[in-house]
Amino acid sequence: MRVTFGVLNVLAALVLLVGLFVVQPRFWALDAPLSVIALVELISAVGLLAKLPWALRALTVSAWVTFVLGLLVVSLIIITMGFLRGIHGDFGTAALAVSGLIVALLVPYTVVLPGLQLLWLKRQPAEPRP
Amino acid sequence: MTARQLLRLLAVWLGVLFVCVVAISYSVRVDRALPPSGLYLVSVWERGTRTARSVVASAPKEVLVDQSARRGAQRIIEQLVDSAPIMGGSWLLLGLSVVPARDGVSVSYRGRTAYATPEDLRKLEAYEFSFVLGPLNLVLGIDVNKVLGALAQELGSEPRELLQHGSFRRFAVASDADYPRKIGEADVTRDSIEDSVRSAARYLARNQRRDGSFRYELNAVTGADSPDYNFPRHSGATYFLARAGNQLHDPQLARAGQRAGSFLKDRVTLRCGEHACIGEGDQVDIGSSALALLAYVELLAGGNEEFRAPALELAAFLRSQQRPDGEFKHFYSIAERRALDIQVEYYAGEAAFALSRVHRVSGDAKDLRAASHALSFLVTRSRWFLGSHYFWGAEHWTCQALADLWQRAPDRSALEFCLDWQAVNRNLQFQSPPAPAEYDGGITRGPFVPPRLTPTAARLEAAVATLEVARAAGVSPSELELIDHQIKRSFAFLMRYQFSPGPTHLMPKPRLLEGGFPGSALDLHVRIDYPQHAGGALLRYWELQPK
Repeated sequence: MRVTFGVLNVLAALVLLVGLFVVQPRFWALDAPLSVIALVELISAVGLLAKLPWALRALTVSAWVTFVLGLLVVSLIIITMGFLRGIHGDFGTAALAVSGLIVALLVPYTVVLPGLQLLWLKRQPAEPRP
Repeated sequence: MTARQLLRLLAVWLGVLFVCVVAISYSVRVDRALPPSGLYLVSVWERGTRTARSVVASAPKEVLVDQSARRGAQRIIEQLVDSAPIMGGSWLLLGLSVVPARDGVSVSYRGRTAYATPEDLRKLEAYEFSFVLGPLNLVLGIDVNKVLGALAQELGSEPRELLQHGSFRRFAVASDADYPRKIGEADVTRDSIEDSVRSAARYLARNQRRDGSFRYELNAVTGADSPDYNFPRHSGATYFLARAGNQLHDPQLARAGQRAGSFLKDRVTLRCGEHACIGEGDQVDIGSSALALLAYVELLAGGNEEFRAPALELAAFLRSQQRPDGEFKHFYSIAERRALDIQVEYYAGEAAFALSRVHRVSGDAKDLRAASHALSFLVTRSRWFLGSHYFWGAEHWTCQALADLWQRAPDRSALEFCLDWQAVNRNLQFQSPPAPAEYDGGITRGPFVPPRLTPTAARLEAAVATLEVARAAGVSPSELELIDHQIKRSFAFLMRYQFSPGPTHLMPKPRLLEGGFPGSALDLHVRIDYPQHAGGALLRYWELQPK
């Protein structure tokens, strides 16, 4: 599982970094949290793949940061959908489908993956203290 | 964290989120279906300016009686249907909380309330405001600065002070203004179409200058004319005027078309190497020449022989710009005396259509071959790219070329292409309900903004051309019925918003605007291509109707 989570964290960080540096223009409100998530995921991936002693602690931090920020982002999108529905009324299934698709694309990376990592971490024996 | 803890956490999150969403959604909601029962906002408008306002709880017709009796004055009564608070003292939230073209905004400050009704906001041109936030290009419902300025002036305050300490609400009204008109699919008849076409063409004729050019873009709410000009659009307007003159046997329109054609022939015809072309400056596009060629062919059909030689010259120029694969080089550098192999939307379709049309007067097989080759290029879709069935532009000339070529060079692939595009357009059509009744039939440009008339009209030109060919080609009656229904709903949308006479209370010069088609429900500008596309589509459909 260590290798699997290491690889998945590298992939998730790459997806975020591509989004961060390829999509223009820059916007600090998105850049800052995305950079934090990508950074902690990369650090934990290095730890997991290189079997370093602090790997599980790094994964714990990475999973919690991703999970909390992910829930926050998904919450903001859903609240925005609710707000716009209140303002514009029934604005059609297409807009709802597009917003739903965005949420559906985010959830696997920002909620499901860190959630699974947190569950797996619970079953791991504590790391020996240096 | 255990699985149970994780599930509990997610359940709490979902519960809190659900409550937040429902609370926010309901607190900002306005119910437009309620019967009007609120205050009456009575306004008197004179020469496009609001000169009096009274807010009353009952008997609205008994207020501002003297003011509304003045010559040229119009009284508009808007009654509140429902209202909802606008959250926070935020500039951004205020902009996002108003539905363009439908909501008004009120603010209460130190015991007084000021109202900016939908009519006020249209007059202020305060609906829709593009705003860049990081990578997002947001379109706000209102131009917040304009609205704050107007409300602050009414209350004798400052915009910033009002934003910080005022209590804002948005509201829906029922208005007695007869714009947009209540027109449904059943009202789209041969007679109503003819009236609409004639009126659109007369708008152009009325706004023509002595030299044959047009007032390019009239702003209905200020009466001002834009200083810009555009030769492809001039050519398109000329084409429509000439067609309307010919089909409706209207000498006034025919003369206006001839004047506009002479403007092209005598004032903006240049030499592009050995050929004549239309434009100005060191570089010209083929769109101007293609549309001018369409106009010349119509003018020739009306008996204006002086356009024959210029038409043949423009046809030769277009053919010289065609590549071996059927596509065109869309620009020509006069300074460098060479064609520029650069492509933009529309021009290839315009050239294909123009070459097809000119073949009818030139009898030159080269014109027919060039048109047919261009059409074939335009409708070729790679079988390896599945997305070609889902990604479509707004190019609407190709299907008109298809219709014009059908008797001489039928192209089944092109018909399939045009039928597929119309199926996509049906999906983009506003359907009421759930869409507002006045938008029914319009082509959407997003769920939060009103549809624009010209994209709908341009697609209609192609839709009617497709219908014509589909009938001739024996396409199934059920598909013909779908297209016809789609077309009529779109025409009803256009006719609803045509200035017949339009919201004259907002216009300083209503006479100039009569017959024009505006940009949208909130963009009350009339540019010369708006009546051209709408009138052109209507005229095509009128020609298909049995007498």
